[in-house]
Amino acid sequence: MSYMNSELAQAAQARINALGMPKRNNELWSFFPVHKIPSVVDTAGTDCAANGAAAGGIVANSAAVECADFGIAAETDIAALLPIAKSAPAMKKDFAAGETEMGLIKSRDDFGHSIFNIGKNAKVSLEILDNKVEHEIAAERFDINVEEGAELEIFFANPANELPLQFRHFVIKQAANSTVHFSNILQDAGIGRISIDVDLNGEGANFDYRSLSVLKGSASKHQRLTIRHNAPNTVSSQFARNLLDEKSYVSYDGSVIVGNGCSQVNSSQLVNSILLGDESSVSVKPVLKIYHDDVECTHGNTCGELDADQMFYLTSRGIPAETAKKMLMKSFAKELFLPLNDGPAKKRLLQVLASL
Amino acid sequence: MLSIKNLKASIEDGTQILKGINLEVKPGEVHAIMGPNGSGKSTLSKVIAGHPAYTVNDGVVELDGKNLLDMEICERANSGLFISTQYPTEIPGVNNVEFLKMALNSKRNFLGLPEMNDADFKKLCEEKMQLLEMDDRYRDRGVNEGYSGGEKKRNEILQMAILDPKVSFLDETDSGLDIDALRIVANGINHIMSPEKAVILVTHYQRLLDYIKPTYVHVLRHGKIILSGGPELALKLEEQGYDWIEEK
Repeated sequence: MSYMNSELAQAAQARINALGMPKRNNELWSFFPVHKIPSVVDTAGTDCAANGAAAGGIVANSAAVECADFGIAAETDIAALLPIAKSAPAMKKDFAAGETEMGLIKSRDDFGHSIFNIGKNAKVSLEILDNKVEHEIAAERFDINVEEGAELEIFFANPANELPLQFRHFVIKQAANSTVHFSNILQDAGIGRISIDVDLNGEGANFDYRSLSVLKGSASKHQRLTIRHNAPNTVSSQFARNLLDEKSYVSYDGSVIVGNGCSQVNSSQLVNSILLGDESSVSVKPVLKIYHDDVECTHGNTCGELDADQMFYLTSRGIPAETAKKMLMKSFAKELFLPLNDGPAKKRLLQVLASL
Repeated sequence: MLSIKNLKASIEDGTQILKGINLEVKPGEVHAIMGPNGSGKSTLSKVIAGHPAYTVNDGVVELDGKNLLDMEICERANSGLFISTQYPTEIPGVNNVEFLKMALNSKRNFLGLPEMNDADFKKLCEEKMQLLEMDDRYRDRGVNEGYSGGEKKRNEILQMAILDPKVSFLDETDSGLDIDALRIVANGINHIMSPEKAVILVTHYQRLLDYIKPTYVHVLRHGKIILSGGPELALKLEEQGYDWIEEK
């Protein structure tokens, strides 16, 4: 049974329709007034006393979390707000300086909040697994502080199964010479939004984002990134590839802000999409706000179909058209992750690609 | 073996490129097709292979009695047709060896044969690469990715050697080859050729035909074969060009 025919999906769709939540226009999400969803949010600005939550491989600590710490306004990205407003149980984990650790994160509840502190020079690899939820809306928030010289690898893949409305929000703050590699694969057939706020606060900080969306049906995925270069010699790169079949839709809203006095900043954004279905579509909006001259910032966007000459070449060697199509899809997707270092995340990513 | 009768084909805007091609190719024969630029030589190979950019307006193309024009592109290949285009397509991200193995096993599936295992395929691949004096660089790269013109042509003949087609249509295989590469590629084609197979060569120059002796030489002009002859015809064309030929 396809996702959109399921009871869960129909309930989610009914909720969207009733609340007038945005479905296609990605910009609307950022300004969605949360008071319009009273049945979801118990009390905006509620006391967010956190509960401990255990996840595979990670021991959670209790932590009191003040809403004010997260700068939540009355109107903000729903993905940022929902977990806090729902008093999501918070999981806090500190990775000690110099530590090397790999972990799996699997939230216990429909609404989760995780706080990670990656200590100086620590090397941490986190794989975020989807939690199986029973409600039509689920949201998670991650606040991640990456200290000087630390390296963090985040890998997030949701499998092609039945999911409700999914919201995920990441707030990442990076100190000098820290590195974050963020890879995600969006594969399910539902409606979701991932938003990421990155502050590159220390000189030499590097943020690398790679995203692959392989969608079909009526799947609708929204990605919103805001990367602030607050220090000189910082680097950010965004590389997204989309394979969109049937009526699926992806929006990509990528903002880069380079502060005054931040010399030698290097920033790139590239989004490549292949529309496999006649009714699939993509919307890409790069926003570059640059307040300093001595920087290099690029952005690009391509959209098209599978290369007809490549299809012909493969089939003219006897490979059936459907197999040839999959070979080209995989090669398109694989390029995205080739530069990543060999490690658990890349291994897992290649496993996901093999299953396409 | 391969029988082309009154083949007419056009491109999307309706312009007719092939205006009634007739050609009979028997096992063991080598046919050379020559002709001025824009006469329809490359189009002929693509139309036979089923390139979607062309519409067949009339005619029949039979391979061992079966009409290729009724088949999907992959079925034509698996039935024994191999075409090598003038500019082989680059496919970054698709490993060359994996592609070759996939192509071979697709054909074996089509013919009802079991798939070839990794060890046997490796042995076959090494043997054919040795024949074409190809080194290991070809293994790890994407299909034709970053290859020079000559390397691409050599890779085409490697595919031909592994897929072992009944009829091979090689479009300007000699273009972009230096003297040594021309000899290696030509020797490879001669090695693959047998009394049960046939080769159609499209070329502008006699130099390829010095290595691969044609049974027949045809002149294609304005979408039709206007003259056919033996190997001596290629020599005459090399000396005198095409202007002396009167179209019927």
